[in-house]
Amino acid sequence: MYATCVTLKFTRRCGEAARIAMDDISAEWMTSPVRDCGSDNDVSNDDDDEDDEEEEPIRKRSKWPDLPIPAPWYGETSKETGFHRSSRLCLNQIRECLLEHRWQEAAEYLISYFQTLEEISTPRQLLATEIIFRLGSEILHQHPNSKLEDVNHFFDLMKNTGVRGYLKISLEHSFHLLLTGNFDDAVRQLTTAESWRYGKQSAVQADKMKLIHAYRGFLSYLSWISKKGSSSEDDDGDVSAIQEMHTYFRQACISLQEILKLPGVWDPFVVGYVNMLEFYNDHEGALNVLKEYAYDSRFPPNPNAHVYLYRFLKRQGSTEKKQIRVLKILGALVPSHELMLELFSLLLESGTEQSLKEALDVLFNLLDDCSWKHSVAAWTCFRNMIKLLRRKKLKHLLEEGWETRKDWWPAFHFRTYHARADFQLSRQLLLMKVVVASTLVGNKCMYCRRKNELENEREARRMIKTHKKRKR
Amino acid sequence: MDEELIGFFREPCSQCSVVNWGVTEEGGYYCKSCHNVIERTVEVTDPSCVTGSRVSAISHGAKKPAKQKHGKDWMVCEGFQFILKQQAEALLAMGVRPELKDDILCNFWRGYLHKSQQAYTTKPLYSVTSQQESDSCPESLAASELSCLSKAETESDMDGARSTISGWSSDGGRLSSVCTEALDSSLYCSARERRMHHLMTMPMTLAFLHLSLLWLQEAITLADLLRFTAEGHIPYINAYQNFPEDMKLFGRDALIFRVESLPSYKMVQEEAHNLAIFLDLPRFPPLTSACLLHPSLLCLRYLMELNLPDELHVWVCWVMQQAGVGKDTFLTYDPWAEKSGLLNYDILASALIVVTLKLLFKLDDQQEWCLSNSADDENKQNQDSSIFCFRKWYKTVQGALVVAKEAEEQAMARKSWKSQKPVYPSMRNKSVVIKRRRVVEQLQAQFQKLTGSDPQPRQDSPSSFRLRWGEEDGGGPSYQGRRLGSAVKKRKGSARPSNPTYWHTALSSCKPRHCTDHFLEMEDSLPRSYVSVLGMVSFLLGVQETHVHAEVCLLERLLFKRPCQPRTKTSHGSRRKK
Repeated sequence: MYATCVTLKFTRRCGEAARIAMDDISAEWMTSPVRDCGSDNDVSNDDDDEDDEEEEPIRKRSKWPDLPIPAPWYGETSKETGFHRSSRLCLNQIRECLLEHRWQEAAEYLISYFQTLEEISTPRQLLATEIIFRLGSEILHQHPNSKLEDVNHFFDLMKNTGVRGYLKISLEHSFHLLLTGNFDDAVRQLTTAESWRYGKQSAVQADKMKLIHAYRGFLSYLSWISKKGSSSEDDDGDVSAIQEMHTYFRQACISLQEILKLPGVWDPFVVGYVNMLEFYNDHEGALNVLKEYAYDSRFPPNPNAHVYLYRFLKRQGSTEKKQIRVLKILGALVPSHELMLELFSLLLESGTEQSLKEALDVLFNLLDDCSWKHSVAAWTCFRNMIKLLRRKKLKHLLEEGWETRKDWWPAFHFRTYHARADFQLSRQLLLMKVVVASTLVGNKCMYCRRKNELENEREARRMIKTHKKRKR
Repeated sequence: MDEELIGFFREPCSQCSVVNWGVTEEGGYYCKSCHNVIERTVEVTDPSCVTGSRVSAISHGAKKPAKQKHGKDWMVCEGFQFILKQQAEALLAMGVRPELKDDILCNFWRGYLHKSQQAYTTKPLYSVTSQQESDSCPESLAASELSCLSKAETESDMDGARSTISGWSSDGGRLSSVCTEALDSSLYCSARERRMHHLMTMPMTLAFLHLSLLWLQEAITLADLLRFTAEGHIPYINAYQNFPEDMKLFGRDALIFRVESLPSYKMVQEEAHNLAIFLDLPRFPPLTSACLLHPSLLCLRYLMELNLPDELHVWVCWVMQQAGVGKDTFLTYDPWAEKSGLLNYDILASALIVVTLKLLFKLDDQQEWCLSNSADDENKQNQDSSIFCFRKWYKTVQGALVVAKEAEEQAMARKSWKSQKPVYPSMRNKSVVIKRRRVVEQLQAQFQKLTGSDPQPRQDSPSSFRLRWGEEDGGGPSYQGRRLGSAVKKRKGSARPSNPTYWHTALSSCKPRHCTDHFLEMEDSLPRSYVSVLGMVSFLLGVQETHVHAEVCLLERLLFKRPCQPRTKTSHGSRRKK
């Protein structure tokens, strides 16, 4: 009975006739999906085609980067109606209030802003639903007088107003509940959302549904963890608790497996899933999951995937060769990753000339990055490396790395003021860097000279101090 | 068949607050949007029915009351008449003379109905298709209209109108359909028809009011009228909310009566002029200097509002005389005069003040500050502050204006535009529109509870003045009693401005329609203090700066009547003034 599509025609105030065609069931000619907002673009692709004509502006806008609030509608135009001017000013006021954390005032303005829900033009109406949902949930989250019932009531209202955003709002609702510590309510919320059916609407939101399933599974995983914690406390515990734990495990497994098949960044899900598999000694399965997550080319490049894989290998005590291989890929993605020091020490341990060269490269790449500039650990490694190279008479290895850096490293690391700053930070750092600087740049470099001055000053001060002490 | 059944049951769903009920086979109600089945079942009206047929039995019973609910048939002009009546009553409540409603507006309206062939005519614009009713309907309509507008409302007329219409509807004509939009609303939906027959629009109601006020020479200028409308003292936005019960808006009526912005000054003025021509109005009563609309009296009011010294009024009157804009031949509106168009009395008066300020203080970013310095010196010497100092005045007024502008913007942001009784574009959308309205109300109630704010904000009583001076909660000290001091000097027994020169922009008038607005392109080259004064004046009147500037140029053209100078940009072409 819902399958028929009906075209209804209505003329707008300005006289232009707008053709709106859509689904019968939704009699929601004002409630099409809030697809214009950010991540919804993918949903709109598989949405019904009959909206084409009317949704033209949206289609155009989706070429722009996915920003939540599109600019074109909000500019001041000469033909702007008073109502639109009011809503534009009101939104500006609310934005100001939110930025300055004046929640009370923002809530007062929002009361006036609600009227935009009754917007006549469909695209604007959709946008209003989204904006009100976002603003309202934020204000309710922050307002000192808001209670949990208020929040629940608000979310329920919004869910039934923008049916096309039902699942998204449900998901946000559960996030809010989690934030406020209502774990069980959040689970209930997701369970309800899982069983939500609304004609074609639920099919259109299939992507969201997958997310809902995934989060539902993730929450099961969290319950599993808490069960695990309590059951390990009272040792073997009772059978029912273990059974319950198993149920959670199965629930979580099914949902998480599903979502991990889709390309995406699923870090918390992967961690949870692997954690459970490891607990039940399915190391093979866990390894497969992690490998899939790290190496499947459909997935977006994700450094964390390699980190998880490396940590897993390390936990399992697998061979250094395997660990090095994973870390090398990570290094290619993020040369300044904190695990690079581990890669360095792994490479040193193997001790061949080739691996020494690679270790040196790792260090050079690491210190190219600003965030490592003042790291004592990194510079100590470098100093040790130089010592080792000297001992093994492989100093020529240094040349290769230095060749590309000699024109900018002195300015980047070895200026006079670097010496001063490093000295203030830690003397250790200064001493390590001096060794490197004198090897790479030479004994007479600014850094070394300044270091000598600083050392002399320090010595002098110490002398004066001891002198004074003696005097007393 | 569910439709009628559900018509009975209008309560919102407890789960999703939608009114979108369906009836299950067992006769229970379920919500179509959230599939919530509720306890309540369809009430059986005929107990003798067997269970299988009870739904259809009810649907029969439901038909009759549904029909009565539709109300009577009505014409769009009736709606406008109702709005006009309400607006006139609001004006009367403000203290306008009662003749406005019963004599002037009523006559204008009758004239309009006649001219536009909507009533008082043998060939009505909209004739009812049914032959037997074609003549009786407009007649009875006209009768009911008159009784509605003038106070003598005779019940029998109304009843007569109602009976003819209901009698007609019982034939099973139009009313068997669900919609109840005004009979002739389709006419209003085509722009061509609207233009051809000069059909009513919402801005035209204001044009009617403006013409009537002008005829009566009441002290409410067009700028005031628009401001009162914006502030909600005169019903305009959602004025249809107060229609009588039996006039129900539906579908296309929304396009006619729903208002989402206030008309601009220019627009209403043009509408009023076109209307005056359409109504074939004679020359208006002469506007003498005793009328409150006369520039000299309006100037007094604006001087007070702008916090300028009363002494300036003499100078304003002098400028007025020189330009020849104080005579009633110039001021009286005659729709058929050669120089067509309505005079904008309020803008003219404020332009007079601007010109006077330019005359005395020059407003070229130099002279006025020099004069301020000397005024300060004088005040120091006399050890009081009885001399008007432009700088102090500027700071005070500018500060107050910034505050007022901000307040206005905030009020605009909080303005409510949507009606409490939404109009449904079609039957299909009815449930959605109602639901949306209900959701908005629920959200508003929830947030009102949260913030503890008052649902109905306090409304100030209408006032001619936007800024107050010299009061405790006013914008600042009052400069009304200050003397002009050294800005004016006595020479040969008569007072002269001590400022020797006067600047003005190019005097040649532009070709109408060819170039529209030079203010925007010139704004940067004009002296800052002049632009700020324009800004103050235009804010008080609620018009754009460019209008005031155009009026100032017009005045200057009248002042320096001379054959057109070559159109060079003499933005500082100074000219000695005697």
